Amino acid sequence: MTAEDEQELVMFLERDQLVTDTSRPVPRAALSRRINNALWALRVFVVVVSAMVIYTFISQVTH
Amino acid sequence: MSLQDPALLEGPIVTDGGVAALPGPSLTPEDGARSRDRLRVHDARRHGRRWYLLWLLVGPGILAMLGENDGPSMISYATTGATYGLGFFLPFILVTFAMAIVCQEMAMRVGAVTHRGYGQLVLERFGPLWGWFSAGDLILTNLVTLIAEFVAIRIGLSYFHLGAGVAAALGVVLVAFTLSGGRYWRWERIVLGMALFNGLFLVAAVLTKPHWGSVGHALVTGSPFPGGSLNTLLLLVASTIGATVTPWMIFFQQSASADKGLTPRDLRHGRYDTIAGGALAAVFGCGALIVGAALFGHGGSSIQGLSGAGFPGALKLVSGKAVATIFALGLIEAGAVALLTISASTGYAVGECIGVPHSFNNSPRKAALFYGANLGAALIAAVIILIPGAPLLSIALNANVLATVLLPVALVFLILLAKDRELMGKWANKTSTNWIAIAIVAFISTCGAAYAIDSFLQTVHLIPGG
Repeated sequence: MTAEDEQELVMFLERDQLVTDTSRPVPRAALSRRINNALWALRVFVVVVSAMVIYTFISQVTH
Repeated sequence: MSLQDPALLEGPIVTDGGVAALPGPSLTPEDGARSRDRLRVHDARRHGRRWYLLWLLVGPGILAMLGENDGPSMISYATTGATYGLGFFLPFILVTFAMAIVCQEMAMRVGAVTHRGYGQLVLERFGPLWGWFSAGDLILTNLVTLIAEFVAIRIGLSYFHLGAGVAAALGVVLVAFTLSGGRYWRWERIVLGMALFNGLFLVAAVLTKPHWGSVGHALVTGSPFPGGSLNTLLLLVASTIGATVTPWMIFFQQSASADKGLTPRDLRHGRYDTIAGGALAAVFGCGALIVGAALFGHGGSSIQGLSGAGFPGALKLVSGKAVATIFALGLIEAGAVALLTISASTGYAVGECIGVPHSFNNSPRKAALFYGANLGAALIAAVIILIPGAPLLSIALNANVLATVLLPVALVFLILLAKDRELMGKWANKTSTNWIAIAIVAFISTCGAAYAIDSFLQTVHLIPGG
């Protein structure tokens, strides 16, 4: 493909769609204390419930 | 800095003179491949070719939804039909797919607006701990689910007297074949073509000659409500939810929407794609339940769907050879399509979190880790099903439940991303969408936790029934 072909094709992409742009990190979100607490609660919920599922699964396998 | 500068989002990048204003850095081959796809979209839009435009823009939504109508899900629906007959679960499937459409629309929208995958955004926006937690959670559930897909393919093939080795080889070769093109478009169209064979479950349902009045009654009234063991009921509720909304679908649709090159201008078609996928998947899922219901009253509740002859063998006795053959072929198709989409979501997650090229528009050499994770996930699952005495039945039965338990994390971050005005600009969630999504997360979390806690308490003999 020639450079002219490439130039023509890139017209059909948005600038923020180019790999060079999507590789640039987006800024870190500023989370409120309420959302931070909710995320910690979610983390505890997932760890506890996953542990229950894994224990049950291992128990099924070993018995 | 707002990420949604309108000047950057509307249409091609041209100067006043109509000449392309090229960005500083040179184009990558990935940009070149994507721009060729976008050229066709641009032409279809310019010439008012509406159906062609729709054809070009559908894909990620249908693939996510039909990919989730996978082997374990279809067996789960059939088990539900065989255990309870027509009733509560028929409309419940429709409700769960309605929930899936809400979640998947958000994933598509975030992917189209930000042009970034879910794993990358969670990592960058909420930090590496949550990013890797999400990716780790996805890779774990994907591996378990991929094993279950191979089990489903094996069940289907066993009806044709073919063994586990054939199932493993077929799956791995299929994944390798679809990865060989170096174009997203090619991969998507191959998988899309295969996914339409999910309709085999509807064909099988029609051939069982159900009483359509009873089907309609069950759909409208949701009755009879299932009785029996609370644990079995909770397992089926959790499995049904896990069969319709899962973490990999969110990763996949957002990343695939970005990889396909969708933009905010395509959001309407992205919604059509998601709704069409949800509707097709719901109808085909109901088909599997209706097929299973043919075994209700014929000892269907005692069938362990993933052991021995399972459903195809039982259906052959009750509904005839044609239904059994179509159901077996359906299981092979469902397992194969899910292998491709779930492996792809693994590749996207690994590539996005590590920060290496992660697009089907790259060659395998350029995106070695993306392709390696894609194929590697399928290979590991294939090896596991060949291990003699591996607890495949237990793995497959728990796959959907584990996905349900881990889903709230994926959904909470999806909501946070979709409502983020700094990231999404005017395409951020409306307040009503936020509340609907929060209600869905609460419902799914409650169902998943209820089953997990009930099973755990039974296992440790704190309540009877374990």
